[in-house]
Amino acid sequence: MYQISSHLEHKRNPIPRRETYAFTSQLRFDMRAFQSPTLAAPAHDHHEARRGFVAALPVMLGFVPFALVLGAQAAQKGLSPIEVPLMTGLNFGGGSEFAAIRLWTSPPHIGLIVAIAFLVNSRHLLMGATLARFIRHLPLRKALPALFFMCDESWAMGLADARQRASTSPSFSLRYYLGLSAGLYLTWITFTTIGAIVGPMIGNIDAYGFDMAFPAVFLVLLRGMWKSARAARPWLVSLIMAAATHVWIPGAWYVAAGAASGLLAAYVWADQP
Amino acid sequence: MIHPATVLAIVLMASMTYLTRIAGYLVLRHRTLGTRAITVLEAAPGCVLIAVIAPRFVSNSLADILALLITLVAAIRLPMLATVIIGVVAAGVLRHLLP
Repeated sequence: MYQISSHLEHKRNPIPRRETYAFTSQLRFDMRAFQSPTLAAPAHDHHEARRGFVAALPVMLGFVPFALVLGAQAAQKGLSPIEVPLMTGLNFGGGSEFAAIRLWTSPPHIGLIVAIAFLVNSRHLLMGATLARFIRHLPLRKALPALFFMCDESWAMGLADARQRASTSPSFSLRYYLGLSAGLYLTWITFTTIGAIVGPMIGNIDAYGFDMAFPAVFLVLLRGMWKSARAARPWLVSLIMAAATHVWIPGAWYVAAGAASGLLAAYVWADQP
Repeated sequence: MIHPATVLAIVLMASMTYLTRIAGYLVLRHRTLGTRAITVLEAAPGCVLIAVIAPRFVSNSLADILALLITLVAAIRLPMLATVIIGVVAAGVLRHLLP
């Protein structure tokens, strides 16, 4: 369960440049047709949102089979096609949703569900802390709603984009982030609902290869974050500790154990020239 | 159909999830970090991502391990979509070929 759920969450934007460029030229063309300077700002915002949405397309594709399976599992546990989107729409965290559905009873054990949500999502604490530097310029009324959409994929893609635009100020593009988040969010809600409705017709997707979409997305994201072998040493520590924890300790502890070990290593190694 | 207990569980679960999303940001929002803290935070995204997929690296299935290695190689050079397709196809094919 945790293994499946863990694959649910992440991504970034190595979308082929050509696609992005195509949209850019098209947009410029449209603007020339209107020739209105007052349209310039909104059109630029729109372009940023579209750029995010397009960057998210491969990840949205990866979401579909998992969303269908989650919806189907939830339906099996007695959740209705209204309750399923209520959960996936309010919670929007695949890992915690798979875990919660696995433990779902009628009536649900609320304390257990909430504790699992915290455990599986505790990495959000670190993700939010990492993002804080990049969204400091945003007022709370914008930052707090934006953070609602922070999943592994949207976070990693937003950060990666900010790093690529390091020379721009602010480097973090809220519109880009919201555009990609919209794509991910709508895909997740839509297909978990469809899964709840057509549930019994869905077999075991692991028999195919769709579950490999998530490691693929995560690995491309990691590639985008790569600076040097030296800087990546904490990743290796995290990988080894997380894998060992997964093998020897049941439950979702491996993410926290791996990430904490990696950070400790980064802290210790930060001294070296 | 909507059951009150189900809705309550969903709302509380979602509230906890949202809390984890905003807490790290709220705590660090007004802090100025030292270089060491920044070094650690810069390593954080990679550490989180790799930890989440770590179980894949110790899978019991030879097909899955091979597919992961193929995906890893693809991820080094190729864009997202191509990597995803290669990963999915490799896993699907290898699982049928290998026991």
